[in-house]
Amino acid sequence: MKDKVCVLGAGSTKYGKLNDSIIEIALNASKDAIDSAGITPNDIQAGYISNVFGVADKQVHMAPVILSNLGIPHVPGLTIESACGSGSVMFREAYANIAAGFYDCVLGLGVEKITHTGTTQSTTLFSYCSDFFYEGGNGASFPGLFASIARAYMTSYKANEEDLANVAVKNHENGILNPKAHVQRKITVDDVLKSPVVASPLKLYDCCPFSDGASAVILCNEEFAKKVGRPYVEVIGSGRGASPAAVQARKDITTIPSTVDAAKQAYKMANITPKDIDFAEVHDCFTIAEVIDIEDLGFFPKGTAVHAIREGATRRNGEIPINPSGGLKSKGHPIGATGIGQVVEVFEQFIGKAGDREIKNAEYALTHNFGATGASSAVHIFKRVG
Amino acid sequence: MELLAQAQQFISLKGWDKEGLSETKQQQQKDLSSREKFIKSANAGKILANKCLRCGHIMLETIYYCEKCFGNKFEPVEFEGTGNMVTYTTQDVAPEGFEDTESYAWVVFKVDNAPFRVSGFLPGVKSAKGLSIGTKVKVSSFSPKHGLLLQKI
Repeated sequence: MKDKVCVLGAGSTKYGKLNDSIIEIALNASKDAIDSAGITPNDIQAGYISNVFGVADKQVHMAPVILSNLGIPHVPGLTIESACGSGSVMFREAYANIAAGFYDCVLGLGVEKITHTGTTQSTTLFSYCSDFFYEGGNGASFPGLFASIARAYMTSYKANEEDLANVAVKNHENGILNPKAHVQRKITVDDVLKSPVVASPLKLYDCCPFSDGASAVILCNEEFAKKVGRPYVEVIGSGRGASPAAVQARKDITTIPSTVDAAKQAYKMANITPKDIDFAEVHDCFTIAEVIDIEDLGFFPKGTAVHAIREGATRRNGEIPINPSGGLKSKGHPIGATGIGQVVEVFEQFIGKAGDREIKNAEYALTHNFGATGASSAVHIFKRVG
Repeated sequence: MELLAQAQQFISLKGWDKEGLSETKQQQQKDLSSREKFIKSANAGKILANKCLRCGHIMLETIYYCEKCFGNKFEPVEFEGTGNMVTYTTQDVAPEGFEDTESYAWVVFKVDNAPFRVSGFLPGVKSAKGLSIGTKVKVSSFSPKHGLLLQKI
């Protein structure tokens, strides 16, 4: 790598049901990130946009529209789609272009607007992210796909529905402290177990909400960051992985190979191990996903995460805090923005803007975000500077 | 028409078409896309796979290069569309196109005597309680609307 890569600024809209157009949502987050970095749009040399369902709000070819409305129509941009992992996959591309020396400073923006389509249409649109011939085309929804993964996991490792509920309770506990979270509501294990079944064995509170929202970061090289003189965070590890697109093609349904591969690459690049990570933002689209993620990322041996969660190891004051932002479960899941939202959380944690959810004395943080049932995945590792 | 199609497929799989069928018929058979061939077999209750001529690896018909050696010359192999459920779910919110089905399960099953799994649509399942991992299913047909249709054995 030629240059060290830094996150110099970050901003998010509130996640939830938003009335603004997808472009306005995108611009609001971009403006917050630009202001937070202490730069002007004139400093941005390229725009990386992640989005999946722009067509649902009548806008594709989004990058030029956003950059034009930021007053920089001459700046090149591109839009990247990788289902629910679009944000982190886009972050990797932006990272790589800074690291390679193509640009000194870029905008990385994730955005989604979906709630206006309603539950049935959203469910249908999401099913297009599956291997449709074998999954969506046979009637599988995304809750259904993860429910089938949950059933396989619960059978293999003798886990139960209460074990999954513990993930939801913990993430809602964190989300209450995040003013931008979609679902700011304390819940109990009993609330989860009594909530309506969405796809057996997953219930409503095992599932993240459909959310609108945008998150943006300013990425730059170290020289640029030092010149601006604002607090920044260093990106020290980046990994990408891939898995068979269809669940049926996975040798073991209880693990996500793309996560394992991406994590190995990121740890190697950062020259640290899972034990060095002080907190992580992981892809908890469903409670079962967080259980599998934290095993695949090397925080807990296979089949043991549910015990660790039950003992509080993943709470904010635990051995390895997971999803202090509230995660997708409570903060929300505007799918094009989610991976960038995780980076926003790391940035806010490291520059002292996370308020009551701050993880004290954290030095290293990890973000993990995947597309669909983990067909595409990216892991990044960050280091506090100063 | 269905019977004729099945007969043609049978002839092709036996390799008889190379000797007995006209060039036009051979071309028609060749012109089917991989998914169309898969669907045709499913309508006969079978799962169509390919055997790599280079390394012998067997994989679903819809995969274009050998997963093991990246060869692209195959011979078709049909498996009985039976197997045991590896995992499954029933959904209370169905995607568009599936609202007309009163109740169903989405199922992944291991195909008997084959080294792979396939997913399908199992109609008439009111609750997940009526199913378990290991339940035996078989392919009944392929529906343009609901995909690979299964039934419990």
